[in-house]
Amino acid sequence: MKTLTTNFLIKDSPMAVAIFDTQMCFISHSDIWSIKFGQGRQTLQGKSLYDIAPNTPKTLRQIHVDCLAGASNSNNGQKFIHPDGTVQWLKWKMKPWRDEEDRIGGLIMVQEDITEEKLKEELLLKAKSVARIGGWEVDMTSNKVYWTQITREIHEVPEDYEPNLEEGINFYKEGWHRNEITRLVTEAMTQGTPWDTELIIITATGREVWVRAKGEAETINGKCVRIYGTFQDIDEKKRMQLEYQTVSDRLAIATHAAKIGIWDYDIVHNNLVWDDNMYKLYGIKPSDFGGVVEAWEAAVHPDDKERSQKGVEMAIAGVQEFNAEFRVIWPNGEIRYIKAESTVRRDTNGNPVRMVGANWDITEDKRAEKKLKNLLDITSEQNNSLLNFAHIVSHNLRSHSSNLSMLSGFLSQEEDENERKNLLDMLGNATESLNETVLHLNEVVQVKTGAIDKMKSVNLLDTISGVQKNLALLLKEKEVTVKVKVAKEMTVNAIPAYLDSILLNLFTNSIKYSSPKRPPVISVKAENEEDGKLVVTFSDNGLGIDLERHGKKLFGMYKTFHKHKDAKGIGLFITKNQMEAMNGQIEVTSAVGVGTNFRLYFQQT
Amino acid sequence: MMTMKKIESACIIDDDPIFIYGTKRMMNEVNFCNQILVFNNGQDAIDGLNEITTRGEDLPEVIFLDLNMPIMNGWEFLEDFVKIPNHNREKVVIYIISSSIDPRDLERIKDYEVVNNYILKPVSPEDLEKVLQNFG
Repeated sequence: MKTLTTNFLIKDSPMAVAIFDTQMCFISHSDIWSIKFGQGRQTLQGKSLYDIAPNTPKTLRQIHVDCLAGASNSNNGQKFIHPDGTVQWLKWKMKPWRDEEDRIGGLIMVQEDITEEKLKEELLLKAKSVARIGGWEVDMTSNKVYWTQITREIHEVPEDYEPNLEEGINFYKEGWHRNEITRLVTEAMTQGTPWDTELIIITATGREVWVRAKGEAETINGKCVRIYGTFQDIDEKKRMQLEYQTVSDRLAIATHAAKIGIWDYDIVHNNLVWDDNMYKLYGIKPSDFGGVVEAWEAAVHPDDKERSQKGVEMAIAGVQEFNAEFRVIWPNGEIRYIKAESTVRRDTNGNPVRMVGANWDITEDKRAEKKLKNLLDITSEQNNSLLNFAHIVSHNLRSHSSNLSMLSGFLSQEEDENERKNLLDMLGNATESLNETVLHLNEVVQVKTGAIDKMKSVNLLDTISGVQKNLALLLKEKEVTVKVKVAKEMTVNAIPAYLDSILLNLFTNSIKYSSPKRPPVISVKAENEEDGKLVVTFSDNGLGIDLERHGKKLFGMYKTFHKHKDAKGIGLFITKNQMEAMNGQIEVTSAVGVGTNFRLYFQQT
Repeated sequence: MMTMKKIESACIIDDDPIFIYGTKRMMNEVNFCNQILVFNNGQDAIDGLNEITTRGEDLPEVIFLDLNMPIMNGWEFLEDFVKIPNHNREKVVIYIISSSIDPRDLERIKDYEVVNNYILKPVSPEDLEKVLQNFG
């Protein structure tokens, strides 16, 4: 009866309990035992333990033998590595039981498999060691400090090192770091605020190490009894972070000094981020800007918009990187040239996720380039006119000299008096023509060397009136109507003698080549243009010039286009040179039988 | 002087009266041709040559052409000349006579097949005789 009850109690025990005979065969066991160690069998009664658990280690079997001889044994956790490599942690208690005659009848044993818990614990320890996280605790009543193994390792102190609170704090680097931890610990103790900070300690071997220190205080009845926390070696990470910070600070200084704007476009979320320089480049404030790509598109010059958008799309599509130049319009209307370079970042599947780029202002470069091109144009034009001039000199002087030599040759042989007189007349004409040509060439050279510093502010209307007065007789004789629409106060930057000569030439040309079919009308008007220029339009209703035929040589030397006894082909050539000497320009439009229209571009004053 | 085939009709296109006088005089001296046509610029020449064509007559056999002339210069004359619908146009020999020693002009002459040669002013009787020899 007694045995039955005992058996019954053992069966329902919440632990793995078993009673063995001296042969280590089961007399009785709990259900838990059969679940945990019995391979699922309902009853193990009469079976040998070593048949049920053949992998029972030798050391454990020896303990069984010892206990059957009278010893007791218990263990809170023993690791066994089985021949197949599996790890098992066991915890047990066992002692022999005795019969009425006080003879050992077998063993009574409690056993627990704690493998899982032990592995987790091991893993945690390992993790702490890998993350170099140590723990510490200060008992305020005894001022005793407890450091875990890793905390000691971080401090590089021996395993038996036992610090007090003050010594612990003195590991922090003198100055800001030590003051900071003192402040934080004091605050925690007095106000109960926890801390989490990154500071430098100097280890026992004198190395500087960045640590993350976390801690909090435990208070009972307003009195701090304990402070505790963790301690992590973050030296490598922190130094990398600081190095990155240094590099990024340097970059920031460089981009700021070079006025390079950096932008970062999150393609997935259509989010554009600009640094401060970008806003400066686009002449806007961060508060004006929504941070989306559309805002950038709004700032881009309309003529460059489509090309720029295509460029970005092509970069995202992977056709080619977006490296472009475009104009932006500042809110005040100013146009700036921007150079952009960028790269598209892709995820592992090659999908575009980010676009990072730099912008900088190349307006000054562009202006310099334009200026250089202008200079080049002027130089090549001057070179051209020099060639032209050389050609004129050779051609015109040669034609006169060849006539002179021919005529004098005839004269030396001619005996007929009348013919001699005729030849002498021609010789006289040829000489006069030569003289005239030399004068013209001289005039051209003077225009070419005309100094720009003779330029001054000249009243346009006064000059026109002066020329009209000079030509009054001629205008009256030809019944020319002159309409002048020039504001009284208008002035141009010009060499007065050149301006006189140009206007005189245009007036006389218009009179000379007026149409016999209608009364001549000349109209002169002046307008200020936006770009600092003043345009004088001089038009007549005369014969007109076939520009398709003569356009290219209209302003050339010795080019005439009408049958007129006074047509010499020098006037417009000089006019053009005079305009250019004053940094001006002359343009012409004309229709045969309708009239001619000259546009003179002057610099405003 | 060797006997040469005399040219029936020659043409001078030049705006310089002294050159025209001198050339005519030399033509007479070397017995160059029977008839001399003179035009003062390219346009007059084109008009005159077209008129001859309309009358059904032959074009002059030799043309002396100046380059620098008002209204229509020598180059422009050449462009228009090749369009004249006369049956003997292709037999016409054109000499450019100019005082230009500009290499650009000399180079440009090569572009005109219709031009036979270039004579630099002043023209001499020897130049005219050479033309006659080539013609014969």
